[in-house]
Amino acid sequence: MTGPTRAGDTARNAWMVVATREIVVRALNKGFVIGLLVTIALIGGLIGFTSYMESRTESFDVAVVAGDESAATALDSLADGRGAASSDDSVEVTVVRVDDAAAAEAALADETADAWLSSAAGGDGEWTLSGWREPDGTLARLVGTTVRGQVLADRAAGVGTSMDDLTAGSEVVTERLDGNPVDPQVVFVAGFVLAFLFFMGAVGSGSMIAGSVIEEKQSRLVEIIATAVPLRQLLAGKIVGSSVIALGQNLVLAGVGLVGASFTDLSSILPSMTASMLWFVVFFTVGFVAVAALYAVAGSLASRTEDLQYTTSPLMMLLMAVYIVTFSADGVLERVLSYIPPASIVSMPVRVLAGDTLWWEPLLSLAILVATTVGAVLLSERAYRGALMQTGGRVSWRSAMAAERGTTLGA
Amino acid sequence: MPFFRYFAGVFFASPSGGGAGSASRWIRARAGRPSVAVMSDLEVRDLTRVFASGGTARRAVDGVSFTATSGLLTGFVGGNGAGKTTTMRMIMGVLAITGGEVLFDGAPVTRADRREFGYMPEERGLYPKQPVLDQLVYLARLRGIAPAAARREVLEHLDRLGLADRAKEHVEKLSLGNQQRVQIVAAIMGQPKALVLDEPFSGLDPAAVDAMADLLREHTRRGVPVLFSSHQLDLVERLCERLVILGGGRVLANGTPDELRSSGVTRHRLVLSGDAGFVRGVPGVRAVDVDGAVALLELDDDAAASRLLSAALERGAVHEFFPVRPTLAQIYREVTA
Repeated sequence: MTGPTRAGDTARNAWMVVATREIVVRALNKGFVIGLLVTIALIGGLIGFTSYMESRTESFDVAVVAGDESAATALDSLADGRGAASSDDSVEVTVVRVDDAAAAEAALADETADAWLSSAAGGDGEWTLSGWREPDGTLARLVGTTVRGQVLADRAAGVGTSMDDLTAGSEVVTERLDGNPVDPQVVFVAGFVLAFLFFMGAVGSGSMIAGSVIEEKQSRLVEIIATAVPLRQLLAGKIVGSSVIALGQNLVLAGVGLVGASFTDLSSILPSMTASMLWFVVFFTVGFVAVAALYAVAGSLASRTEDLQYTTSPLMMLLMAVYIVTFSADGVLERVLSYIPPASIVSMPVRVLAGDTLWWEPLLSLAILVATTVGAVLLSERAYRGALMQTGGRVSWRSAMAAERGTTLGA
Repeated sequence: MPFFRYFAGVFFASPSGGGAGSASRWIRARAGRPSVAVMSDLEVRDLTRVFASGGTARRAVDGVSFTATSGLLTGFVGGNGAGKTTTMRMIMGVLAITGGEVLFDGAPVTRADRREFGYMPEERGLYPKQPVLDQLVYLARLRGIAPAAARREVLEHLDRLGLADRAKEHVEKLSLGNQQRVQIVAAIMGQPKALVLDEPFSGLDPAAVDAMADLLREHTRRGVPVLFSSHQLDLVERLCERLVILGGGRVLANGTPDELRSSGVTRHRLVLSGDAGFVRGVPGVRAVDVDGAVALLELDDDAAASRLLSAALERGAVHEFFPVRPTLAQIYREVTA
């Protein structure tokens, strides 16, 4: 007596109905949306701050006493950008000429000058850079370099040679044979960012799936659902739904990061960053399926929402460990981690960015990750079905695995 | 007069389904079986469930057999721990069966059958933070109802239960009674082939009980078996065509309310003009209670009744002599004692 209204999805396609609900409910969840917006704002802010710091020019007013020609020459060359430190264009020096030492001190006191440079009176005494307080470090370094250059040039001229002759052949340039243009510093930061994305996506979306499982278990809604569709379908729908959300979230964040990076000095390495990011997305997508499945089990092991903290803590610790270890790992440890799931989700893309992988390495690591994920999902599916109908207190993994799975609760 | 109320409810309180026509169908249903729809009984045979914990095994349900006949309301009665919920969970497949089987339409029940059963678990719950309409449509879709049809049907049911204007509200904003109604809608969506409802009346006010009873009647009129558990005996007596009394995991009694009542020992009440003490001496008569001119008696057979009446008339006038049929509550107490 199948009614005419039963023209909808078959039980086999129920996972799609479940996944759609998971996605819609999550996407409309205020906490989730706010969290995502805050993270985007943080990334934007970080990028803005970085590029501001990069483009910022510091300006200094430096006083020089009339008649102190050496100091005046040194400061002029600094102000014109011709001095030894001319490559640094983020510092701007303005020369303030004053009549005498008293006027210079007065200028320091009323802050019309940031510092006062006086040359060694007799020619071989000390140069002095005075400030009302300790003079700015950047300025002191620049002035020091300039003065040194000027004095050395004078002396070179005195013995009939030139600075260029003296320093010829003394420069050391660095070269790397792998041709990779990515700064190790950038690799480190990228490692940090990827570890953060992984941790946030995994814990955030993982907690969501655990919460949605316990919501159904605690309210016994799962009994109604179980009579309608196989629990396997329910679990699959939840995993797919939360994976889509986690993936979407990471794509958005990675996109924001990459677009933002194009406005900074990092734009030169955008291609290798993008490649690394794509690897990360692929690894994360595969790995998250396992994380989501395990979180679903954690949800089913609880009997009330309050138990979740307990049942999810082993997973939380694992993810936390991955987060901490991967962004600080390097050398052999990083090489090893890049093959061990779930650390490989972060470590392999970082190695790709650093350019020290052979072409087959990410593929091998991915294969290991896929195999691990398949194993984790199969295990989880069994535990989930075993634990879901057990009420009254927390369920242990062991009893979840041992439980009979009802007459029709199986496939 | 509970029976009258029930009867009136069918005639006057049925908002849809065409009063007189459905009532006459219902009368036929009372007389025999409904002739309007395909009939598929829900039957359990030797159903057994053993819970093993910590080395001890407890038989929560022990060889339970009964039939929830199509087109009839079957009441499932029993005290706490009698095994009602365990039995229903096994029928619905959410609990593994230790022994025995569940049959639908004469064949072992399948997952596909259960997908079209309406089920209301003992403990109530819905997604607290999802709007009423959305989650009912979701549950309907899981049972294979097309989205548009699901929406239409849900709105129709909500309208009937007076919840149409709450459709967009989150479930947690509703009162418990209204949450219960939403739960009922979840069970009866999509023209279920059978209804298995665990305590569907608990927490409902009298008006809601009547509305709920009407709703269930509509489904029995379609020829669907409806099995519901309750501990409200008066309600069960008033509503059910069949009754299964469970105790300690076993079926203690099973039949129509009339059958159950007549299966009990029928007593007779005798009121005389004078003292009734003499009845103790009449062969085949056992005095349960004698108080002055009034006696409550158990009679072995018709001959004993004749002897009793002759003896009584010799002594004076007989004001009353009639059988006292036990109430369901008495039967229940008797069989569960």
